[in-house]
Amino acid sequence: MCLGVPMKIVSLHGERAFAEALGVRREIALSLLPQPWPHPGDYVMVHVGYAIERVDATLAEESHTLWQAMEAGRDA
Amino acid sequence: MNARDTLARIQALPAPLRPIRVLNVCGGHERSITELGLRSLLPDWVQLIPGPGCPVCVCPEEAIHQAIQMALLHPLTLVAFGDMLRVPVNLNKGEANSLAAARAQGADIRPIASPLEVIALARSLAPRPLVFFVAGFETTLAPVAAMLAEADLPANLFLQLAGRRTWPAVEFLLQAGSSFEAMIAPGHVAAIMGANEWRFVAEKYALPVAVAGFAADTLLTGLHAVLRHALRHEAALDNAYPAVVKADGNPQAQALLAKAFDIVDAPWRGIGSIPASGYRLTSLHAARDASLQFPVAISGHKRSGQMPAGCDCAAVLLAHKRPSECRLYGRACTPESPIGPCMVSDEGACHIWWRAGERVATA
Repeated sequence: MCLGVPMKIVSLHGERAFAEALGVRREIALSLLPQPWPHPGDYVMVHVGYAIERVDATLAEESHTLWQAMEAGRDA
Repeated sequence: MNARDTLARIQALPAPLRPIRVLNVCGGHERSITELGLRSLLPDWVQLIPGPGCPVCVCPEEAIHQAIQMALLHPLTLVAFGDMLRVPVNLNKGEANSLAAARAQGADIRPIASPLEVIALARSLAPRPLVFFVAGFETTLAPVAAMLAEADLPANLFLQLAGRRTWPAVEFLLQAGSSFEAMIAPGHVAAIMGANEWRFVAEKYALPVAVAGFAADTLLTGLHAVLRHALRHEAALDNAYPAVVKADGNPQAQALLAKAFDIVDAPWRGIGSIPASGYRLTSLHAARDASLQFPVAISGHKRSGQMPAGCDCAAVLLAHKRPSECRLYGRACTPESPIGPCMVSDEGACHIWWRAGERVATA
């Protein structure tokens, strides 16, 4: 439950957004973030469907690499 | 600085006479450490030890039993994060001893991965009551608090809370006499609550502490900071995850938490009661308290508050033992047929070690 996933915002609608990571798109909530909210193209750290903090693109890339390595290790 | 350089700097540190034990309190950290193979890369004098960082593992038996009975005896649907469903509790033979077992007996119990799913499910099931059984740390309770603040939350949605705060458990371990010389603080808990929440480790207990994230570079940067301080007998708070963690955290998330929950003393399975470590719905949300709406009698616990017989999960959570030192590890207890909660949850140290291929039982 504590594993956060950095996701890229694709579109915004009200307090929700569509965001994607590793080719998966899902709806997330933005209501835990202080205003002003992120824009499409920005990255956020997502926990159980809620963005908890903004992150930069470099960090998101590094996290995705780690994530993929873990999933690969898990399958091995 | 990249991870390889930071690792080299750690390897170049002068070896002390005695090992330095570094506690982590987050299943995500334990998973990164184990799956990146950091223990085999670091010098012998660095011992990375997992602690109480598994919310499912510390969820009291009574809370799980209550959820089981609620789902069996009342006409309702109960949802919980998937990890929770297979956690066994000590009950008499023949009784449903996990949420999964209760589901097999006909209770409507479903796994969920997000409060957003819970809202959608409550809408689709209305007016049938939906009980959300919540275990988790700050990273889970903040989203639940945001869910509670939604304007049109369905009236048939109720909560049973078993959420816990992380830092009081660390203070509990430190007051009991520390079994570690430094610690890595949980990065995403700190993203919400702020790096400063961990300053007490340095100022009150004189141990180095660093907030770190989950990729190799931030984790190694945090480790390098605390090891360097420990070797010099210095205490300090470092933030090795500044890209995500601010000194005072996320003020919006903290405001939502304060509006949704009061802080209370709370029991931790295998550990006991820890002051100011739990959450209770504020009076604003009292009507959503599932334990008041759907009362059940839960008695007959053979060994209340304990882990299963022979299981060292409590000692693992208290950082007194490593997973492979448990007599059941890999013998009677595996992820396929777990005995203790540390082997059930994705965030349990036993589960993480076994999944990563740690096969040598040292008990």
